[in-house]
Amino acid sequence: MAWADDIVEAFRSQQVKLVVYVADKVLVPVLERIAADPEHFRLVPLTREEEGVGILAGAFFGGVRGALLMQSSGFGNTLNGLASLAIPYQVGFPMLISMRGALGETNKAQVPMGRALPEVLDSFGIPRYDLDRPEAVAAVSRGAARQAFATGRPVGLLLSSLMTGGKGGGF
Amino acid sequence: MDRADVMRAVAERAGDALIIANLGSNAYDLYTHGHRPGNLYMRGAMGLTGSVGLGLAMARPDRRVIVVDGDGSLLMNLGQLATTAAEAPANLVHIVLVNGLWQETGGQRIATGGRTDLAAIARGAGIAEVAEAADLDALTRALDGTQHAPGPWLVAARITEHGSSQAPNTDPLANRDEFMRAAR
Repeated sequence: MAWADDIVEAFRSQQVKLVVYVADKVLVPVLERIAADPEHFRLVPLTREEEGVGILAGAFFGGVRGALLMQSSGFGNTLNGLASLAIPYQVGFPMLISMRGALGETNKAQVPMGRALPEVLDSFGIPRYDLDRPEAVAAVSRGAARQAFATGRPVGLLLSSLMTGGKGGGF
Repeated sequence: MDRADVMRAVAERAGDALIIANLGSNAYDLYTHGHRPGNLYMRGAMGLTGSVGLGLAMARPDRRVIVVDGDGSLLMNLGQLATTAAEAPANLVHIVLVNGLWQETGGQRIATGGRTDLAAIARGAGIAEVAEAADLDALTRALDGTQHAPGPWLVAARITEHGSSQAPNTDPLANRDEFMRAAR
C-alpha cells in the first residue's frame, strides 16, 4: 500500500526511531512496515494510549524522536498526558490516528469520539492534518513530523477512511 | 522512614543518574532534599512518571534512570509495569513510595493502604528485580543492589507520612531544558 509506504518513509526521513502504538486494523500496513525495519525503528505495544505520551516524552528528553499510533477511540485515553505533559514541557511527536466514527461507520460507539476528536485537538492548540488523498500523504506526513519536532508540540495526522477504505476494506 | 529520608538516600546514591520525580509530594521533597540539574519534576500527568522513565531509559541505555513515584500514581497506570517488563531496560530503577494514601488531597486511604501489594503486582507483571523496604537500612541495601544487578528494578518503599515540603513551583520548560542539558 503506497500510503503506508509514504507514512513510514516520512517518519524515517524525520529520524523517528521509537514508534509506540495500540493496534488498529487500519494501521496494520504501517505497523508491518515499521516492524520490518528493526535496524531503524523500535516498535513498542502499549497497554493504553496515554502511556505512549509518557514514553515519548521520556525519549524526547533523552534525544530520541518518536511517534504515537492509535485509533480515534484510543485518542480519548491520551488527553491528560497531552495537556499536562506534552504541551507544557513542549514535547513534539506526530500522532497517526486512524479515524473511526465518520464516513461509512457502522458502530454507534465509535461516533462520539470520532466526531469530537478534531475539535479536541483544536481546543488543545494541537495542529492536525487529514490524510485523505493518496497523492498528498508523503508531503503531509513529512511536514507534520517536521513541524512537531521543530515546534515542540504534538501534531495530529488523521488517517481518513476515505483513503484507507476503513475497517471493512472498502465502501 | 519518611519521604524526606527516601529522597536523601536516593539523591546521595544517584551519581550521574537521571531522576524523574512524580508530581506533588515526591517532586517537592526531591527538590528540597536533593535538587540537581539531572532531576525532572512532573507537574501533572498523574500515572505517567514511570512511563517517562521507561522512554528515557530506552532512549539512553548508557545512563541510569531513576523514577521516584507514588503508590496512588502507580495504581493509575499499572499497565506500565507490563510494558516495562516487556521492554526490559536494564538501566531503569522505579522506586515507588507507599503510604497507602492520596497525600496531596488530604490523606484519603487507597487500595495500597489495604490489601493491594505493588511489589507482588510488579513480580506478576514480569519485572526482573523487585525489592521491598520498610526502613532506611532496607532501602539503602536495595538501592545498593540496584547498582549491581541489571534491571528493570521496582523498589517498593513503605513510608510514614508527615506531609511534604513546600511546593517549589518549578517551571516545566526551564526544568526540562536544564534536565536535557544534564542528559546530554
